[in-house]
Amino acid sequence: MLVPTLILQALLNGASVAIVYILVALGLSLIFSIMGIINFAHGEFYMFGGFTAYYMSEVAGVNYLFTLVAAFIAVGALGFLVERLLFGPLRTQPLSGFIASLGLLLLMQAIATALFGVVDKAVHSPFPGVSRGYGLVISNERLFVMFASAALIALLYSFLRWGKQGLALRAVAQERDSASLLGINVDLVSGLAFGVGCGLAGAAGALLAPVFYVSPTMGEQPIVKAFIIIIIGGMGSLPGAVAGGILLGLLESIGPIFFSVATVEMLGFTAIVVLLLFKPTGLAKS
Amino acid sequence: VSWTNDARSITAFVLLAVVAATLPFATRDLYIIGVATTILQNLLLAMSLRLVMNLGLLNLAHISLMGIGAYVSAALAMQLGMSFWLTLPIAASVAALMALALGGLTLQLHGPYFFLITFALLSITQLFFHSYFENIFGGATGLIGVPRPNPIGFGTFKIQMVDKVSLYYLIFAFWIVATAVLIRLEYSRLGMQCAAIKQSETVARAIGIHSIRCKLLILTLSGFIAGVAGVFFAHSRGVINATDFGVDPMLRLLVFVVVGGVGNIWGPVVGTIGLSVIFEFLRDLHFLETLVYGAVLIAVMRLFPAGVIGTFQWASAIGNRWQAAKHDAA
Repeated sequence: MLVPTLILQALLNGASVAIVYILVALGLSLIFSIMGIINFAHGEFYMFGGFTAYYMSEVAGVNYLFTLVAAFIAVGALGFLVERLLFGPLRTQPLSGFIASLGLLLLMQAIATALFGVVDKAVHSPFPGVSRGYGLVISNERLFVMFASAALIALLYSFLRWGKQGLALRAVAQERDSASLLGINVDLVSGLAFGVGCGLAGAAGALLAPVFYVSPTMGEQPIVKAFIIIIIGGMGSLPGAVAGGILLGLLESIGPIFFSVATVEMLGFTAIVVLLLFKPTGLAKS
Repeated sequence: VSWTNDARSITAFVLLAVVAATLPFATRDLYIIGVATTILQNLLLAMSLRLVMNLGLLNLAHISLMGIGAYVSAALAMQLGMSFWLTLPIAASVAALMALALGGLTLQLHGPYFFLITFALLSITQLFFHSYFENIFGGATGLIGVPRPNPIGFGTFKIQMVDKVSLYYLIFAFWIVATAVLIRLEYSRLGMQCAAIKQSETVARAIGIHSIRCKLLILTLSGFIAGVAGVFFAHSRGVINATDFGVDPMLRLLVFVVVGGVGNIWGPVVGTIGLSVIFEFLRDLHFLETLVYGAVLIAVMRLFPAGVIGTFQWASAIGNRWQAAKHDAA
């Protein structure tokens, strides 16, 4: 009885963080499908989302739920600008775009260090206390994180499935030139995709801000997880990103029961190498 | 045209070598000697990284090859008490072999897949030295007390590799040999095949160039040079840590290379020396370093994708054309 409860509890804790990493990975994958570039600075947009939550809810005293929306909009707008000024013009040179994203990573981290300082900052949870049931325990804030992330994923799905701009976005991802011939403003759509992708990362950062601390280096962990997730699921595939996130969540929550933390981390990276070598389209498509 | 390029290249090499060789006579300031030593060590890394980037292979695990050289040499010296002059070729060869293995594994991948996999390999190597075989590689604390290079010489004539000046001359000697090899390579059969691959891999393969073989040879050579830099790094500093071979130092190296431009053998030299000297003058503004590195990477990619040297060549080509047009008109 003890062992299954232990594993279930580990799964529950893992799921509450993994679902946020899925948000980050979805944004990364969306950007890749439209732009063909891998945005190494994606974790820094996540970090900016965390700081938006900190300054709005802790310093300015705004309602935490409102800061989630604000983080999505502010970081999304920043992403839109970055696409228009930097990645859009570099779209035809993937290598330059990739190196520029590495530069953006350094730049955003340095700006955050200069503006916000290196001291970890805590964001108070809007949902204190814990919930119990079936012999399991979970803090209410983690429960909220899970529901909010699921809602965001559902929103993204509806936008892409039924929204007019979502349709345009899928068309550009499929065939850029044809989409342009059909009268779609492909430049605007690229900016929009980048903005939505970064906005998701910003919301994810704001969501996890009460769970972890906020610091200029907080983006390093989720970006690596997001890479692993989109490689497991297939780059550019959104259902794949969700599936990849679930697999990684399973590995990370159950793995430490049997192996050391370093070995679990090693397994994630090894999964990247093995999958890229033998199945670069990911496990989702066959 | 190739003769003038040839002459220019060799003139630049000789000039730089003379300046570097006479530096310890010009100044007795050990701080400057230390900075120059770091610059020469970074030159080995930047020039070998340019070699692979010139073929379109952004190898983010380049710094790991340096790390392998450093850790293997330090472990051999500390565990088995081997001489520096024995661990140097062994460790550099191990790094070269790992580069060869990396190429053999990954060269089938293109574009973003290649740099993602090298990023994963960078993380794996760092994690390996950080968390495994702690009794050999020192774990999270790293290795402390890596011995200095053994003295070299015959009989009573011995050069002790202890003070900063002799270490400077040691890395200077490595740099001279490596640069001579790299210059010679540019004009060799392999170098020309690489130039063809760079222009169009499809055409190069169609005329019978074995592109995978060329890339493997270049990767192996770059791994060996990075390994030598790593061995020097370990034994000259005496302390190594897995974070010395992580993402941050890799990005710095990348800045050195792309600022100068990958198209020319002297690009990384201009980038490395130029940026290192600028940062020495801005030493008090140390906290701005990361900011400037990031901004420079973005600006170079956006405005001068060919780097400083490439932009200069492009400008002079425009100038020549303009001169010629004026001549025709007259």
